[in-house]
Amino acid sequence: MRILIVEDDLEAAEVMDRGLTEAGHECVRASDGEAGLSAAHAGEFEVMIVDRMMPRLDGVSMVQALRREGDQTPVLFLSALGEINDRVEGLKAGGDDYLVKPYAFAELIARVEALSRRRETGSVQTLLRVGELEMDLIGRTVHRQGKEIDLQPREFQLLEFMMRHAGQSVTRTMLLEKVWEYHFDPQTNVIDVHVSRLRSKIDKGFDRAMLQTVRGAGYRLEP
Amino acid sequence: MRLPRLFRTTPFRLTLLFLALFAAAASAFLAYIYLATAGEATRRTDQNITREMHSLVAAYDRAGVDAVNQSLIERAASERPFLYLLMKPDGTRISGSIAESPIEDTAGRGSTRASFSVTDYDSQGRLVKHPARGIQEHLSGGEILFVGADISEDQAYVVKIVRALWGAGALVIVLGLAGGLLVSRNVSRSMGALNDVVAAVRNGDFDARAAVRGARDEFDELSEGINEMLDRLQRSMSGHRHAGDAIAHDLRSPLTRLRARLETAYLDVEAGKGDAQEALAQALEDTDGVLKTFGAVLAIARLQAAGQAPDQNLFDPTDLAADLAELYEPTCEDKGLEFGAELAKNLQVRGNREFLAQALANLLDNAIKYTPAGGAIMLRVRRRSSGEIEFSVTDTGPGVPDEDRARVVERFVRLENSRSEPGSGLGLSLVAAVAEAHGGRLELSEGPGKVGEMGPGLRVALILPRAV
Repeated sequence: MRILIVEDDLEAAEVMDRGLTEAGHECVRASDGEAGLSAAHAGEFEVMIVDRMMPRLDGVSMVQALRREGDQTPVLFLSALGEINDRVEGLKAGGDDYLVKPYAFAELIARVEALSRRRETGSVQTLLRVGELEMDLIGRTVHRQGKEIDLQPREFQLLEFMMRHAGQSVTRTMLLEKVWEYHFDPQTNVIDVHVSRLRSKIDKGFDRAMLQTVRGAGYRLEP
Repeated sequence: MRLPRLFRTTPFRLTLLFLALFAAAASAFLAYIYLATAGEATRRTDQNITREMHSLVAAYDRAGVDAVNQSLIERAASERPFLYLLMKPDGTRISGSIAESPIEDTAGRGSTRASFSVTDYDSQGRLVKHPARGIQEHLSGGEILFVGADISEDQAYVVKIVRALWGAGALVIVLGLAGGLLVSRNVSRSMGALNDVVAAVRNGDFDARAAVRGARDEFDELSEGINEMLDRLQRSMSGHRHAGDAIAHDLRSPLTRLRARLETAYLDVEAGKGDAQEALAQALEDTDGVLKTFGAVLAIARLQAAGQAPDQNLFDPTDLAADLAELYEPTCEDKGLEFGAELAKNLQVRGNREFLAQALANLLDNAIKYTPAGGAIMLRVRRRSSGEIEFSVTDTGPGVPDEDRARVVERFVRLENSRSEPGSGLGLSLVAAVAEAHGGRLELSEGPGKVGEMGPGLRVALILPRAV
């Protein structure tokens, strides 16, 4: 996956570049908004990671300019500002996700990979299939190996998100944000408990565990 | 040259402006009255002399020049207010009350009307000129007849009226000025008091407050507004002042711990005693802890400094509580806690949903953390009779002794028996800050009481003002 990193903190960009390259991605770096804009014009990217506060052209203005030109490449904003309204502002400007600095690297990779998948699922799907799992989005039913699995509404949503991002790591924060749509920071392991309930439903009685825990990151649904 | 202070005040200037406008309007009014009445006097005189002329011309036509002559002599002797002159066609006087015609007859025929003045002596023997109107007509036999009238009396009447009006105008102006000065002095005294407050605040005295006189007028309103603004500013400033200190203080201890741990690990690894990987993992975990603390401290400081939560919207608190209940229930069950929710319907509250969600999450986190297995946790939302919206979390844990309840809300206060539990000690402080930033408050009270080993429990209520 080709990723554009627009970040004025060169050291942070370097670390990001190295980590993403190790994860198998190809990165291009730009050190301010203007350079980011020309890099975006010059090459095709699947995801852009854009810092909000940069010299010359800030991240929000840069993304706004790209969106005006019709460029719909998914954008992950990075920001040292953690206020809720900053996040809202970033998403309004055309960002697709928002990550507050400092972040865990696993979180960054998980979010970047989740963004890249967004475009492929643009068309309306009625059936999701991951390995032995089959989800009927209209009938609201889930089957594994043809056996129906009974899920609560929230468990269904949780599994739908995991299936849409099958093979990718998803973090607890991502789940709270995307499935429950809250942005706070729970002290207790509330998300883990929900995931483990879901796991007991989809994996219990089968020879292979599909919903796996990724150490230091979160969870992954393996096909 | 600087005008005295009083003359520079806005009310006084407004008074002057008003008086100038009044004077202009009065002048125009007087001019109109003068023209109207003076014109009326002239017209009436003209009518009278025309009538007199007609009656004389009728006598002439009926009985000839001698009859007119006779009539003139009689009329001049009577008390009639007219001037007469009968002349031969060449202009020489036949008879009349004046020596010669004041009208310069250019046409030589028909009748001519004109204004002129007659000279007279007043009671003191001074020569005065009176305005007059006259008409002169060529009679059918060639003689010329003049009839005139003094209009000075009529005009004097008009002048009297105008003088009276001028006098009244002058009186109004004088009274207006005096009134303006009085009002100005009053207003400028009130404004001066407010200015003094502003000046004091500018010089750094944030305790200065404007006096409210109790008149319930706009000055009192302004004073109250200024006082409220100053209260707010003072709170916000002390919030800012303390925020920096607090952040430094709040982060120093966890950073010190982190540093100590790293140093110990480094020394251990150097001595070949410890495992570098484990030390690094531990350090990462500590760093996350510091960042969490930092986030909480920052959120509290910002809420306190802003005084009001950003992005407040109207929403249904029941939905929010139901979401939280759904999120936390499995965790409670896993820990062997009974979880219940009593959520009233059709409520509305104004607030920042994210901050309130974080606050409720903190309350539930605390309850789960401190309630031993076998206990129970209850989440409630209801409307108080006062219209306030109350979220509450009740647990059957050990509770907080009465004397410590005010203290646990303070930052980093952790009671003795909770020190062994993980946590930053900022949870309740953040909830309190969120409550305050919504104009609400936090109330701590005893839970359901002691039941065997359990209790007495703690009930924490987050109370938000009625949504308007």
